[in-house]
Amino acid sequence: MSLEERPWAERFRPRTISDVADNKEALRRLLNWVRSWRGRPPKQRSAFLYGPPGVGKTSSVGAIANDLGFDLVEVNASDYRTAKRIETILGKASSQTHTLLGERRMILIDELEGISGREDRGGVQAILRLIKETRSPIVLVATGSREEWEEKLSPLMRVSEIIEFRHIPFNDVVKRLRDICKEVGVEAEEEALELIAERSNGDLRSALNDLEAVGRGRNALAWGDVYWLGDRDRKSGLPEVLMRIFSAKSFREAREALGASPIGYDELLEWIYENLPYAFDDPHDLAEAMDALSHADIHRTRARRTQEYRLLKYMFNAMLAEVALARRESKGRGLIQAIRHASLSLGLPPSDLSIQEGREGIIVKPTRWMGDDWQPLNSLLRGFGGRWIRGEGRWVVPYFRPPGRVYHLRRSWWSRRRLGDLALKVGEKCHISRRVALRDVVPYVRVIFQENRSLGVSLGRWLELGEDTIKWLMER
Amino acid sequence: MSVELWTEKYRPKTLDQVVNHDEIISRLKKFVEDRNIPHLLFVGPAGVGKTTTILALAQDLYGPVYTHFTLELNASDERGINVIREKVKSFAYTAPMRSEVSFKVLIMDEADNLTTAAQHALRRTMERYTKTCRFCLIGNYSESIIEPIQSRCAIFRFGHLSENDIRERIRYIADCEGVKLLEPGLDAILEASRGDLRKSINILQTAAASKGGYVDEETVFAVLGRVSPKEVKQMINLSLKGRFLEAREALRRLLLEEGLAGEDLLRQIYSEVLRLQIPDVWKVRLSETIGEIDYRMTQGANVEIQLGALLAKLVLAGEEMGQ
Repeated sequence: MSLEERPWAERFRPRTISDVADNKEALRRLLNWVRSWRGRPPKQRSAFLYGPPGVGKTSSVGAIANDLGFDLVEVNASDYRTAKRIETILGKASSQTHTLLGERRMILIDELEGISGREDRGGVQAILRLIKETRSPIVLVATGSREEWEEKLSPLMRVSEIIEFRHIPFNDVVKRLRDICKEVGVEAEEEALELIAERSNGDLRSALNDLEAVGRGRNALAWGDVYWLGDRDRKSGLPEVLMRIFSAKSFREAREALGASPIGYDELLEWIYENLPYAFDDPHDLAEAMDALSHADIHRTRARRTQEYRLLKYMFNAMLAEVALARRESKGRGLIQAIRHASLSLGLPPSDLSIQEGREGIIVKPTRWMGDDWQPLNSLLRGFGGRWIRGEGRWVVPYFRPPGRVYHLRRSWWSRRRLGDLALKVGEKCHISRRVALRDVVPYVRVIFQENRSLGVSLGRWLELGEDTIKWLMER
Repeated sequence: MSVELWTEKYRPKTLDQVVNHDEIISRLKKFVEDRNIPHLLFVGPAGVGKTTTILALAQDLYGPVYTHFTLELNASDERGINVIREKVKSFAYTAPMRSEVSFKVLIMDEADNLTTAAQHALRRTMERYTKTCRFCLIGNYSESIIEPIQSRCAIFRFGHLSENDIRERIRYIADCEGVKLLEPGLDAILEASRGDLRKSINILQTAAASKGGYVDEETVFAVLGRVSPKEVKQMINLSLKGRFLEAREALRRLLLEEGLAGEDLLRQIYSEVLRLQIPDVWKVRLSETIGEIDYRMTQGANVEIQLGALLAKLVLAGEEMGQ
């Protein structure tokens, strides 16, 4: 397999010490410890590396072995559970300090957290014996949070040099993703990378896997492409629940949908609000159903404010039964109409596309070779939550889409932070609240920035705005 | 060299510099002479000089170091009355040192945003620290301040600034800044700002910045067109045409990306609706609907759902008007 074909997490794994970009302090300590093996074994013959997944523990060991000329013998602790196996595999390796070719050896025992249960007690003991006798450095690696394995692995920790690896900071993950996109030739929206980084929780490997899943084989990556990544696998059964609510004929039928919902009522309300206008395409029905959601919101707030949670049942009645019974004239064809309308607005004649209702969603199939029209249509349908099914040559747009509020909130968080900073600083300088600043003064400041940059920047300095905010204002 | 907002640069620093509200100013000057002030309540519309006046009073009272003896709080920025109480406590706990005035001044701006319960708590705090601290509450309407606080304060009602006062002030600033301000431009500024001096100055500065210091009617209109989001009007029109989904997208943008408060957005919707070219009987009906939603926003928690319900009502109105 050529390097290009390998999974990105593998392809972009650091191979030398200078490649390692994160957890530098841990790397430095590990390097010092390995160097202390000159001649005689040091006091601690093993190093115990631990930390969250995907932060470079194993990579660091590999890079050091590579640069210092060690032959790395890797054993996956969870694969070789019994003491005996570990001893057979490692016994030899640890007592012989050099390979036949004269290279020094280093032993890496990974996934120690996988040693578990009674029968593995011997496993820890065997490794302990190994450490006592070894003449080659042994690196132990455990992944996950300390409390999960601390008890069973504490004998190993007591005799080892302990080195902690930490989560990779958000900004560093974004930076790495950006670098990789540059290298593989994907032009990515900053927000798309930020979303991937956010989802990864400081786990660079999973971030790379996500990036590859959405980015491989493309040359551009937009926020909308990444957004669906998270929700695709969750919420099974939710479409059926929404279908039930929107088509229920009786109070009871609608009300029972709550019990079948895989998500809580707060989130369910958001999903109903998002999808309701597609199902209620008659103006009377829509106004009445939206009114029902407004009632639901009020009941919920009353329940919270008074701490009288029995009031919640009125919220449920409103968001389920009142909504369902508002439907009289609607045909439930809002989604297909919206898609038709949107593709027309791209300038595509109706004969170019077959748009039909299928079992799992609206099916959109081009009737001709789309050429340059493919890309805009693809982004449009992705905006609706659609997916291109390559083998079948069609898009499928699911009947229900996740709450767009969340999409907007995530998408705009950077703008909102900048705007928040601006409102705060203007408020402080002008003796007004953030809200009044945002409403009465910020709009003028923004226009000044657009019309007269140098004046804007100068004003920004006086307001003591951060560089980020000034940059943001200039880009608008 | 940095450029300031002219509202700050030309904010009067002392009571003598405040040219309007003669009656109020002369009474406040008396307080300064006596080195004693009661608790104060300033009420009046936006941009007529309430905050300016109290800051000028503080300056006259304590001199240039007045910031050591005053604390500005803004009711809409502070998270809850407990935070306010803590801040007041640590500020008012001690009498001012090295000052011939025996109390400090606490300014509570936008006080009408405090809930009734919070105001009652504030009243108790006021009494507790009366010896070391005077409170100056600022708001738009005295009705929104509870009676027990009102009765403990000397109330000063700030009226609208006269058109002439604003005119002179704007001309003065334009002269100082070397702005060529044409008469029709000035008229347009006055028309748009409706007695709000802060707004007038902001318009002047923005207009001057965009056309290199030349301000006529056209420049002013261009600024006005850009500061008030056109999207509000578009959103209403989309709704009336039955395009709910697009209208809802616009709503989200305004709330989430522009960061507008629900109340402020609703106020804009309201004034746009009254300006629509629709039969008066519909204006009346829509006013009822907006009024209902305005109230519901105070009862509910999700502003977008409440305003979304309003958009759906506009869709329906559009449909019925069309028939």
